[in-house]
Amino acid sequence: MGLVQVATNTVTSAVASVTLTGIDSDDVYMVTIVGASPSSGVDEIRTRFTASSTPQTTANYDYANKFFRASAAFINDSNTNLTYTRGTGNIDNAFEGGNGIFYLYNFNNASEYSFMTIESVTFGFSEGRGYAGGTVYTVAEAHNGVQFLPSTGNIDSGTFTLYRVV
Amino acid sequence: MSEYGYIPEAPEQSFGNNKGIFTPKDIYDLTRADKYTNYGQLELIETQIHSSDVAQVDFTNIKADIYDVHFMTLNNIVSSSDAGLDCRLSDDNGTTFESGSYDYDIQFVQTSGTSNGETRSTSGNAFTRLGALGANANEQGNGYMYFYNLGDSTKYSFATHQSSSWNFNAHLVMYFGSLVYHQTVSMNALRVFPTAGSLTDFEISLYGIKSYE
Repeated sequence: MGLVQVATNTVTSAVASVTLTGIDSDDVYMVTIVGASPSSGVDEIRTRFTASSTPQTTANYDYANKFFRASAAFINDSNTNLTYTRGTGNIDNAFEGGNGIFYLYNFNNASEYSFMTIESVTFGFSEGRGYAGGTVYTVAEAHNGVQFLPSTGNIDSGTFTLYRVV
Repeated sequence: MSEYGYIPEAPEQSFGNNKGIFTPKDIYDLTRADKYTNYGQLELIETQIHSSDVAQVDFTNIKADIYDVHFMTLNNIVSSSDAGLDCRLSDDNGTTFESGSYDYDIQFVQTSGTSNGETRSTSGNAFTRLGALGANANEQGNGYMYFYNLGDSTKYSFATHQSSSWNFNAHLVMYFGSLVYHQTVSMNALRVFPTAGSLTDFEISLYGIKSYE
């Protein structure tokens, strides 16, 4: 496996969202998130897919995740027909603790749904937390990237990088 | 020299945006400055292969000042005793390894027996359950880990892992976990070790995932 960097964004001052684009082939793509932190205390990082660089906000995101908690039993966390999908668990902004690996499938294919696998780890509410699972956007259209955003407020820090897997 | 006979202003150079004709020294200098387009951002740091039995495998040159994401592959890990496979972090180049402050929550599924579910802790002594090891035929662990923020002294260190093992009870077990070392310390070494006995076979590779500004 090899990786070719396509786009990156290091947040050093607060932004409402981070968008990475540049998906233009049928390859699998991978995104890394390191040190992501929300502005509002404790929050999750959400994800949307972009079509022609515009984040898609229609209620067509489904996700099915295992939600890991270091101090309590895991939870099967799934939902359908949302306007976003979950990328990470809750992040305490005191520790800039949002991290993960996301693989993107079928994004360049306009005749198939786009899929994403999630493997993320955070620190929030005084415990280590994780998400492992999958997401689909149930519209057959091409997507050229992903957007990351908190549920409220801004993203204060973090490095977000998009790679093509070769 | 331009086609009109003057020396143009040198263009700004950056990853994915290099212009001009480069000498080997230019390439060397730009690469060192992270401004030369070298495709291939999964970069091998080190591979360690079994040559004699050892109690642990240490990586003491993890280049945490360069990479904020590390990827480790664990292949054909065999131990002299029935054991699990764990990992610890060091902030003093491998002189000592941290043995507390590890959070983890790990899912496990087996093809035999009733012991499926999870194991978790907010005060663990290692990143744990990277594999299930044994000494009998076919008993071995295989998997991968991602590490995040190891070199940043202002942030916790994080990891995720998945493994597939033929365990010491002669059946398949899968682990998948999220792990946090909840101290703000800059780490510079990793140790992989069995919870009992020694490692009698292994191939472990550590990669850095490069990100250009």
